[in-house]
Amino acid sequence: MNNRIKKAFDVIHAEEELKEKTKAFLFQKAQGKSERKTGKLHRLVPALICLLFVLIGSGGCGLYFIPTAAVSIDINPSLELEVNRFDQVVAVKGYNDDGYTLASSMHLTFQNYNEAVKQILENEQIAALLSQNEVLTITVTGSNEEQRGKILSDIELCTAGQENAYCYSATPSELAAAHEAGLSYGKYRAFLELQAADPNVTPEDVQGMTMREIRDLIAGLSSGRQETNTGNGTHGTGNGGGRGNGMNGMGRGRHGQ
Amino acid sequence: MRSEQEVNRAIEQYSDTVRRICMIHLKNYADTEDIFQTVFLKYALSPISFKNEEHEKAWLIRVTINACKDLLKSAFRRRAVPLDSLTEQAALLPQDDRDVLEAVLSLPKKYKDVVYLHYYEEYTAPQISQILGKNVNTIYTLLTRSKQILKEKLGGDGYE
Repeated sequence: MNNRIKKAFDVIHAEEELKEKTKAFLFQKAQGKSERKTGKLHRLVPALICLLFVLIGSGGCGLYFIPTAAVSIDINPSLELEVNRFDQVVAVKGYNDDGYTLASSMHLTFQNYNEAVKQILENEQIAALLSQNEVLTITVTGSNEEQRGKILSDIELCTAGQENAYCYSATPSELAAAHEAGLSYGKYRAFLELQAADPNVTPEDVQGMTMREIRDLIAGLSSGRQETNTGNGTHGTGNGGGRGNGMNGMGRGRHGQ
Repeated sequence: MRSEQEVNRAIEQYSDTVRRICMIHLKNYADTEDIFQTVFLKYALSPISFKNEEHEKAWLIRVTINACKDLLKSAFRRRAVPLDSLTEQAALLPQDDRDVLEAVLSLPKKYKDVVYLHYYEEYTAPQISQILGKNVNTIYTLLTRSKQILKEKLGGDGYE
Protein backbone atom coordinates (compact mmCIF):
# COMPACT_ATOMS: atom_id res chain seq x y z
CA MET A 1 0.00 0.00 0.00
CA ASN A 2 1.38 3.31 -0.87
CA ASN A 3 1.13 5.95 1.80
CA ARG A 4 2.49 8.64 -0.50
CA ILE A 5 -0.50 8.37 -2.83
CA LYS A 6 -2.91 8.30 0.07
CA LYS A 7 -1.25 11.30 1.69
CA ALA A 8 -1.27 13.29 -1.55
CA PHE A 9 -4.93 12.61 -2.34
CA ASP A 10 -5.95 13.21 1.28
CA VAL A 11 -5.34 16.90 0.77
CA ILE A 12 -7.89 17.16 -2.02
CA HIS A 13 -11.34 18.12 -0.75
CA ALA A 14 -14.45 19.40 -2.43
CA GLU A 15 -14.57 23.17 -2.02
CA GLU A 16 -17.43 24.43 0.16
CA GLU A 17 -18.44 26.72 -2.69
CA LEU A 18 -18.74 23.70 -4.98
CA LYS A 19 -20.96 21.86 -2.52
CA GLU A 20 -23.16 24.89 -1.98
CA LYS A 21 -23.50 25.50 -5.72
CA THR A 22 -24.50 21.88 -6.25
CA LYS A 23 -27.06 22.07 -3.45
CA ALA A 24 -28.44 25.31 -4.88
CA PHE A 25 -28.67 23.76 -8.35
CA LEU A 26 -30.54 20.72 -7.03
CA PHE A 27 -32.81 22.92 -4.92
CA GLN A 28 -33.55 25.03 -7.99
CA LYS A 29 -34.35 21.87 -9.99
CA ALA A 30 -36.70 20.66 -7.28
CA GLN A 31 -38.28 24.12 -7.01
CA GLY A 32 -38.68 24.28 -10.77
CA LYS A 33 -40.63 21.07 -10.62
CA SER A 34 -42.92 22.15 -7.82
CA GLU A 35 -43.36 25.62 -9.30
CA ARG A 36 -44.57 24.06 -12.48
CA LYS A 37 -47.05 22.15 -10.41
CA THR A 38 -48.28 25.06 -8.31
CA GLY A 39 -47.63 28.30 -10.23
CA LYS A 40 -50.85 29.82 -11.54
CA LEU A 41 -49.39 30.94 -14.84
CA HIS A 42 -47.35 27.82 -15.31
CA ARG A 43 -50.43 25.72 -14.69
CA LEU A 44 -51.97 27.14 -17.82
CA VAL A 45 -48.95 26.51 -20.02
CA PRO A 46 -49.38 22.74 -20.46
CA ALA A 47 -53.08 23.24 -21.13
CA LEU A 48 -52.32 25.88 -23.76
CA ILE A 49 -49.68 23.67 -25.32
CA CYS A 50 -52.12 20.76 -25.40
CA LEU A 51 -54.75 23.02 -26.97
CA LEU A 52 -52.20 24.11 -29.56
CA PHE A 53 -51.35 20.50 -30.29
CA VAL A 54 -55.01 19.65 -30.69
CA LEU A 55 -55.43 22.60 -33.03
CA ILE A 56 -52.54 21.74 -35.24
CA GLY A 57 -53.79 18.17 -35.36
CA SER A 58 -52.08 14.88 -35.18
CA GLY A 59 -49.16 16.08 -37.30
CA GLY A 60 -48.00 18.42 -34.51
CA CYS A 61 -44.87 18.49 -32.43
CA GLY A 62 -46.51 16.31 -29.77
CA LEU A 63 -45.84 13.39 -32.05
CA TYR A 64 -42.17 13.90 -31.40
CA PHE A 65 -42.48 12.32 -27.99
CA ILE A 66 -44.60 9.36 -29.05
CA PRO A 67 -42.44 6.27 -29.50
CA THR A 68 -43.09 4.34 -32.68
CA ALA A 69 -40.36 1.73 -32.29
CA ALA A 70 -38.25 0.22 -29.53
CA VAL A 71 -34.73 -1.17 -29.55
CA SER A 72 -34.22 -3.77 -26.85
CA ILE A 73 -30.61 -4.46 -25.88
CA ASP A 74 -29.71 -7.44 -23.72
CA ILE A 75 -26.37 -8.74 -22.55
CA ASN A 76 -26.80 -8.65 -18.84
CA PRO A 77 -27.63 -5.04 -18.52
CA SER A 78 -31.05 -5.12 -20.19
CA LEU A 79 -32.33 -1.83 -21.50
CA GLU A 80 -34.72 -0.54 -24.07
CA LEU A 81 -34.53 2.58 -26.24
CA GLU A 82 -37.85 4.07 -27.31
CA VAL A 83 -37.54 5.66 -30.74
CA ASN A 84 -39.95 8.18 -32.28
CA ARG A 85 -40.99 8.49 -35.93
CA PHE A 86 -38.07 10.86 -36.49
CA ASP A 87 -35.59 8.13 -35.45
CA GLN A 88 -34.71 9.96 -32.24
CA VAL A 89 -34.46 8.20 -28.88
CA VAL A 90 -37.16 9.69 -26.64
CA ALA A 91 -36.84 7.41 -23.60
CA VAL A 92 -34.42 4.85 -22.15
CA LYS A 93 -35.67 2.16 -19.78
CA GLY A 94 -33.59 -0.24 -17.71
CA TYR A 95 -35.05 -3.71 -17.18
CA ASN A 96 -32.75 -4.81 -14.35
CA ASP A 97 -30.41 -3.07 -11.89
CA ASP A 98 -27.45 -3.20 -14.28
CA GLY A 99 -29.64 -1.91 -17.10
CA TYR A 100 -30.90 0.95 -14.97
CA THR A 101 -27.38 1.89 -13.87
CA LEU A 102 -26.13 1.82 -17.44
CA ALA A 103 -29.11 3.83 -18.69
CA SER A 104 -28.66 6.47 -16.01
CA SER A 105 -24.94 6.79 -16.65
CA MET A 106 -25.30 7.61 -20.34
CA HIS A 107 -26.93 10.46 -22.23
CA LEU A 108 -28.89 8.64 -24.89
CA THR A 109 -32.13 10.59 -25.18
CA PHE A 110 -32.71 12.92 -28.14
CA GLN A 111 -30.00 11.21 -30.12
CA ASN A 112 -30.41 9.25 -33.32
CA TYR A 113 -30.88 5.54 -32.49
CA ASN A 114 -27.75 4.68 -34.45
CA GLU A 115 -25.62 7.00 -32.34
CA ALA A 116 -27.26 5.71 -29.13
CA VAL A 117 -26.59 2.04 -30.00
CA LYS A 118 -23.04 2.93 -30.99
CA GLN A 119 -22.48 4.61 -27.62
CA ILE A 120 -23.83 1.57 -25.79
CA LEU A 121 -21.58 -0.79 -27.74
CA GLU A 122 -18.60 1.46 -27.00
CA ASN A 123 -19.42 1.57 -23.29
CA GLU A 124 -16.58 0.00 -21.33
CA GLN A 125 -18.81 -2.37 -19.43
CA ILE A 126 -20.51 -3.68 -22.59
CA ALA A 127 -17.20 -3.90 -24.46
CA ALA A 128 -15.71 -5.86 -21.55
CA LEU A 129 -18.69 -8.26 -21.51
CA LEU A 130 -18.43 -8.80 -25.26
CA SER A 131 -14.72 -9.49 -24.97
CA GLN A 132 -15.59 -12.17 -22.41
CA ASN A 133 -17.66 -13.95 -25.04
CA GLU A 134 -21.01 -12.79 -23.61
CA VAL A 135 -23.98 -12.82 -25.99
CA LEU A 136 -25.55 -9.54 -27.06
CA THR A 137 -29.11 -9.55 -28.38
CA ILE A 138 -30.67 -6.52 -30.02
CA THR A 139 -34.33 -6.62 -30.94
CA VAL A 140 -36.23 -4.00 -32.89
CA THR A 141 -39.98 -3.75 -32.41
CA GLY A 142 -42.59 -1.37 -33.72
CA SER A 143 -45.85 -1.20 -35.60
CA ASN A 144 -44.36 0.56 -38.62
CA GLU A 145 -42.79 -2.22 -40.64
CA GLU A 146 -40.79 0.16 -42.80
CA GLN A 147 -39.19 1.92 -39.82
CA ARG A 148 -38.62 -1.39 -38.07
CA GLY A 149 -36.82 -2.79 -41.13
CA LYS A 150 -34.70 0.34 -41.51
CA ILE A 151 -33.64 0.36 -37.85
CA LEU A 152 -32.88 -3.37 -37.97
CA SER A 153 -30.64 -3.06 -40.99
CA ASP A 154 -28.84 -0.03 -39.53
CA ILE A 155 -28.22 -1.86 -36.27
CA GLU A 156 -27.02 -4.93 -38.10
CA LEU A 157 -24.45 -2.74 -39.79
CA CYS A 158 -23.53 -1.24 -36.44
CA THR A 159 -22.99 -4.67 -34.85
CA ALA A 160 -21.36 -6.26 -37.91
CA GLY A 161 -18.00 -6.42 -36.16
CA GLN A 162 -19.37 -8.25 -33.10
CA GLU A 163 -19.24 -12.00 -33.37
CA ASN A 164 -21.66 -12.60 -30.51
CA ALA A 165 -24.25 -10.00 -31.46
CA TYR A 166 -27.68 -11.07 -32.76
CA CYS A 167 -30.30 -8.81 -34.22
CA TYR A 168 -34.01 -9.55 -34.50
CA SER A 169 -37.22 -7.75 -35.17
CA ALA A 170 -40.56 -8.40 -33.49
CA THR A 171 -44.16 -7.15 -33.51
CA PRO A 172 -45.65 -4.85 -30.82
CA SER A 173 -47.81 -7.68 -29.45
CA GLU A 174 -44.68 -9.75 -28.83
CA LEU A 175 -43.08 -6.76 -27.11
CA ALA A 176 -46.19 -6.30 -24.95
CA ALA A 177 -46.00 -9.96 -23.88
CA ALA A 178 -42.33 -9.46 -22.91
CA HIS A 179 -43.14 -6.37 -20.84
CA GLU A 180 -45.98 -8.23 -19.15
CA ALA A 181 -43.43 -10.82 -18.07
CA GLY A 182 -41.21 -7.99 -16.74
CA LEU A 183 -38.48 -8.66 -19.30
CA SER A 184 -36.99 -6.77 -22.19
CA TYR A 185 -37.74 -8.42 -25.52
CA GLY A 186 -34.35 -10.02 -26.20
CA LYS A 187 -34.37 -11.72 -22.82
CA TYR A 188 -38.04 -12.69 -23.18
CA ARG A 189 -37.26 -14.40 -26.46
CA ALA A 190 -34.45 -16.38 -24.84
CA PHE A 191 -36.77 -17.14 -21.91
CA LEU A 192 -39.36 -18.65 -24.29
CA GLU A 193 -36.70 -20.89 -25.77
CA LEU A 194 -35.55 -21.93 -22.32
CA GLN A 195 -39.13 -22.54 -21.21
CA ALA A 196 -39.68 -24.82 -24.19
CA ALA A 197 -36.82 -26.95 -22.90
CA ASP A 198 -37.74 -26.63 -19.22
CA PRO A 199 -41.40 -25.68 -18.54
CA ASN A 200 -40.66 -24.95 -14.86
CA VAL A 201 -38.55 -21.89 -15.65
CA THR A 202 -40.15 -18.53 -14.74
CA PRO A 203 -39.35 -15.02 -16.01
CA GLU A 204 -37.98 -14.17 -12.53
CA ASP A 205 -35.42 -16.96 -12.90
CA VAL A 206 -33.88 -15.39 -15.98
CA GLN A 207 -34.16 -11.72 -14.98
CA GLY A 208 -30.70 -11.57 -13.37
CA MET A 209 -28.98 -13.96 -15.79
CA THR A 210 -26.73 -12.88 -18.62
CA MET A 211 -27.72 -13.80 -22.15
CA ARG A 212 -24.72 -16.12 -22.28
CA GLU A 213 -25.92 -17.95 -19.16
CA ILE A 214 -29.41 -18.40 -20.64
CA ARG A 215 -27.98 -19.56 -23.95
CA ASP A 216 -25.69 -22.06 -22.20
CA LEU A 217 -28.64 -23.34 -20.18
CA ILE A 218 -30.73 -23.79 -23.34
CA ALA A 219 -27.86 -25.56 -25.02
CA GLY A 220 -27.44 -27.84 -22.03
CA LEU A 221 -31.13 -28.66 -21.77
CA SER A 222 -32.15 -29.07 -25.34
CA SER A 223 -28.82 -30.00 -26.93
CA GLY A 224 -29.46 -28.50 -30.29
CA ARG A 225 -33.22 -29.03 -30.38
CA GLN A 226 -33.92 -25.29 -30.38
CA GLU A 227 -32.86 -24.77 -33.97
CA THR A 228 -35.84 -26.72 -35.28
CA ASN A 229 -38.21 -25.37 -32.63
CA THR A 230 -37.85 -21.66 -33.27
CA GLY A 231 -37.42 -21.77 -37.02
CA ASN A 232 -36.81 -18.08 -37.19
CA GLY A 233 -33.10 -17.83 -37.69
CA THR A 234 -32.20 -17.37 -34.05
CA HIS A 235 -29.18 -19.55 -34.41
CA GLY A 236 -28.55 -19.07 -38.06
CA THR A 237 -25.19 -18.29 -39.42
CA GLY A 238 -24.27 -15.57 -41.85
CA ASN A 239 -26.48 -12.60 -42.51
CA GLY A 240 -29.50 -14.18 -44.16
CA GLY A 241 -32.97 -13.12 -42.98
CA GLY A 242 -35.53 -15.73 -42.07
CA ARG A 243 -39.23 -15.46 -41.29
CA GLY A 244 -41.36 -17.74 -39.22
CA ASN A 245 -44.04 -17.89 -36.51
CA GLY A 246 -44.64 -14.17 -36.35
CA MET A 247 -41.08 -13.07 -35.74
CA ASN A 248 -38.67 -11.85 -38.31
CA GLY A 249 -35.44 -13.36 -37.16
CA MET A 250 -32.03 -12.61 -38.44
CA GLY A 251 -29.13 -14.57 -37.06
CA ARG A 252 -25.60 -13.31 -37.22
CA GLY A 253 -22.45 -15.40 -37.11
CA ARG A 254 -22.58 -17.38 -33.91
CA HIS A 255 -20.91 -20.05 -31.83
CA GLY A 256 -22.44 -22.97 -33.73
CA GLN A 257 -24.22 -24.89 -31.00
CA MET B 1 -37.02 11.77 -6.02
CA ARG B 2 -34.92 11.55 -2.86
CA SER B 3 -35.51 14.02 -0.04
CA GLU B 4 -33.46 17.22 0.20
CA GLN B 5 -32.03 15.98 3.48
CA GLU B 6 -30.88 12.70 1.94
CA VAL B 7 -29.28 14.47 -1.04
CA ASN B 8 -27.50 16.96 1.21
CA ARG B 9 -26.19 14.09 3.32
CA ALA B 10 -24.82 12.40 0.19
CA ILE B 11 -23.18 15.64 -0.97
CA GLU B 12 -21.45 16.07 2.38
CA GLN B 13 -20.41 12.43 2.55
CA TYR B 14 -19.19 11.81 -1.00
CA SER B 15 -18.15 15.23 -2.35
CA ASP B 16 -14.47 14.65 -1.62
CA THR B 17 -14.53 11.34 -3.51
CA VAL B 18 -16.31 12.90 -6.49
CA ARG B 19 -13.90 15.85 -6.39
CA ARG B 20 -10.82 13.59 -6.47
CA ILE B 21 -12.18 11.62 -9.43
CA CYS B 22 -12.89 14.92 -11.22
CA MET B 23 -9.34 16.05 -10.53
CA ILE B 24 -8.00 12.86 -12.13
CA HIS B 25 -10.06 13.29 -15.30
CA LEU B 26 -10.90 16.95 -15.82
CA LYS B 27 -8.92 20.03 -16.45
CA ASN B 28 -11.02 22.87 -15.24
CA TYR B 29 -13.27 23.88 -12.42
CA ALA B 30 -16.28 24.58 -14.63
CA ASP B 31 -16.29 20.96 -15.82
CA THR B 32 -16.04 19.82 -12.20
CA GLU B 33 -19.12 21.90 -11.38
CA ASP B 34 -20.96 20.24 -14.29
CA ILE B 35 -20.02 16.79 -13.06
CA PHE B 36 -21.12 17.56 -9.50
CA GLN B 37 -24.51 18.72 -10.77
CA THR B 38 -24.89 15.72 -13.11
CA VAL B 39 -23.86 13.14 -10.52
CA PHE B 40 -25.93 14.43 -7.62
CA LEU B 41 -28.95 15.10 -9.84
CA LYS B 42 -28.77 11.47 -10.97
CA TYR B 43 -28.49 10.47 -7.34
CA ALA B 44 -31.50 12.60 -6.42
CA LEU B 45 -33.62 11.14 -9.21
CA SER B 46 -32.42 7.54 -8.98
CA PRO B 47 -35.01 5.09 -7.61
CA ILE B 48 -32.27 2.62 -6.60
CA SER B 49 -32.42 1.64 -2.94
CA PHE B 50 -28.86 1.04 -1.84
CA LYS B 51 -28.07 -2.03 0.25
CA ASN B 52 -25.55 -0.14 2.37
CA GLU B 53 -23.12 2.78 2.28
CA GLU B 54 -20.51 0.77 0.37
CA HIS B 55 -23.04 0.05 -2.37
CA GLU B 56 -24.03 3.71 -2.46
CA LYS B 57 -20.41 4.88 -2.65
CA ALA B 58 -19.54 2.39 -5.41
CA TRP B 59 -22.59 3.55 -7.40
CA LEU B 60 -21.55 7.20 -7.08
CA ILE B 61 -17.95 6.41 -8.08
CA ARG B 62 -19.16 4.58 -11.17
CA VAL B 63 -21.60 7.33 -12.14
CA THR B 64 -18.88 9.98 -11.62
CA ILE B 65 -16.32 8.14 -13.75
CA ASN B 66 -18.89 7.61 -16.52
CA ALA B 67 -20.00 11.24 -16.35
CA CYS B 68 -16.38 12.44 -16.64
CA LYS B 69 -15.78 10.16 -19.62
CA ASP B 70 -18.99 11.30 -21.32
CA LEU B 71 -18.01 14.91 -20.81
CA LEU B 72 -14.53 14.37 -22.23
CA LYS B 73 -16.01 12.53 -25.20
CA SER B 74 -18.19 15.47 -26.17
CA ALA B 75 -16.99 17.26 -29.30
CA PHE B 76 -15.95 20.52 -27.65
CA ARG B 77 -13.86 18.95 -24.94
CA ARG B 78 -12.00 16.18 -26.73
CA ARG B 79 -8.58 17.36 -25.67
CA ALA B 80 -5.86 15.84 -23.55
CA VAL B 81 -5.86 16.46 -19.81
CA PRO B 82 -2.82 18.57 -18.99
CA LEU B 83 -0.85 18.40 -15.80
CA ASP B 84 -1.78 21.93 -14.85
CA SER B 85 -5.23 20.62 -14.00
CA LEU B 86 -4.03 20.21 -10.45
CA THR B 87 -6.28 22.20 -8.18
CA GLU B 88 -5.31 25.25 -6.18
CA GLN B 89 -5.32 23.01 -3.14
CA ALA B 90 -2.77 20.75 -4.79
CA ALA B 91 -0.65 23.72 -5.77
CA LEU B 92 -0.10 24.43 -2.07
CA LEU B 93 1.10 20.89 -1.40
CA PRO B 94 4.63 19.98 -0.38
CA GLN B 95 6.72 19.14 -3.44
CA ASP B 96 6.70 15.39 -2.72
CA ASP B 97 2.87 15.20 -2.62
CA ARG B 98 2.65 17.37 -5.71
CA ASP B 99 5.05 15.04 -7.54
CA VAL B 100 2.91 12.06 -6.58
CA LEU B 101 -0.30 13.71 -7.85
CA GLU B 102 1.40 14.78 -11.04
CA ALA B 103 2.68 11.26 -11.57
CA VAL B 104 -0.82 9.81 -11.13
CA LEU B 105 -2.39 12.42 -13.40
CA SER B 106 0.19 11.84 -16.08
CA LEU B 107 -0.61 8.12 -16.23
CA PRO B 108 -2.40 6.94 -19.38
CA LYS B 109 -6.19 7.25 -18.95
CA LYS B 110 -6.83 3.55 -18.43
CA TYR B 111 -4.64 3.39 -15.31
CA LYS B 112 -5.87 6.45 -13.43
CA ASP B 113 -9.15 5.13 -12.02
CA VAL B 114 -7.56 1.82 -11.08
CA VAL B 115 -4.71 3.54 -9.25
CA TYR B 116 -7.04 5.88 -7.40
CA LEU B 117 -9.53 3.17 -6.45
CA HIS B 118 -6.83 0.76 -5.32
CA TYR B 119 -4.31 2.99 -3.58
CA TYR B 120 -6.59 5.63 -2.18
CA GLU B 121 -10.02 4.05 -1.75
CA GLU B 122 -8.37 0.68 -0.94
CA TYR B 123 -10.66 -1.38 -3.15
CA THR B 124 -9.47 -4.84 -4.12
CA ALA B 125 -9.05 -5.85 -7.78
CA PRO B 126 -12.34 -7.84 -7.82
CA GLN B 127 -14.19 -4.86 -6.31
CA ILE B 128 -12.64 -2.50 -8.87
CA SER B 129 -13.61 -4.88 -11.67
CA GLN B 130 -17.23 -4.66 -10.50
CA ILE B 131 -17.20 -0.87 -10.22
CA LEU B 132 -15.56 -0.34 -13.61
CA GLY B 133 -17.30 -3.25 -15.35
CA LYS B 134 -13.98 -4.73 -16.41
CA ASN B 135 -12.52 -8.21 -16.21
CA VAL B 136 -10.71 -8.81 -12.91
CA ASN B 137 -7.59 -10.04 -14.74
CA THR B 138 -7.55 -6.77 -16.69
CA ILE B 139 -7.53 -4.92 -13.36
CA TYR B 140 -4.60 -6.98 -12.07
CA THR B 141 -2.70 -6.22 -15.28
CA LEU B 142 -3.50 -2.50 -15.07
CA LEU B 143 -2.38 -2.41 -11.43
CA THR B 144 0.91 -4.17 -12.17
CA ARG B 145 1.71 -1.87 -15.10
CA SER B 146 0.72 1.28 -13.25
CA LYS B 147 2.89 0.21 -10.33
CA GLN B 148 5.87 -0.11 -12.71
CA ILE B 149 5.19 3.29 -14.28
CA LEU B 150 4.85 4.98 -10.90
CA LYS B 151 8.04 3.34 -9.70
CA GLU B 152 9.87 4.67 -12.75
CA LYS B 153 8.48 8.16 -12.33
CA LEU B 154 8.81 8.48 -8.58
CA GLY B 155 11.54 6.04 -7.75
CA GLY B 156 11.62 3.84 -4.66
CA ASP B 157 9.94 0.49 -4.19
CA GLY B 158 7.10 1.46 -1.93
CA TYR B 159 4.35 0.82 -4.50
CA GLU B 160 3.13 -2.52 -3.28
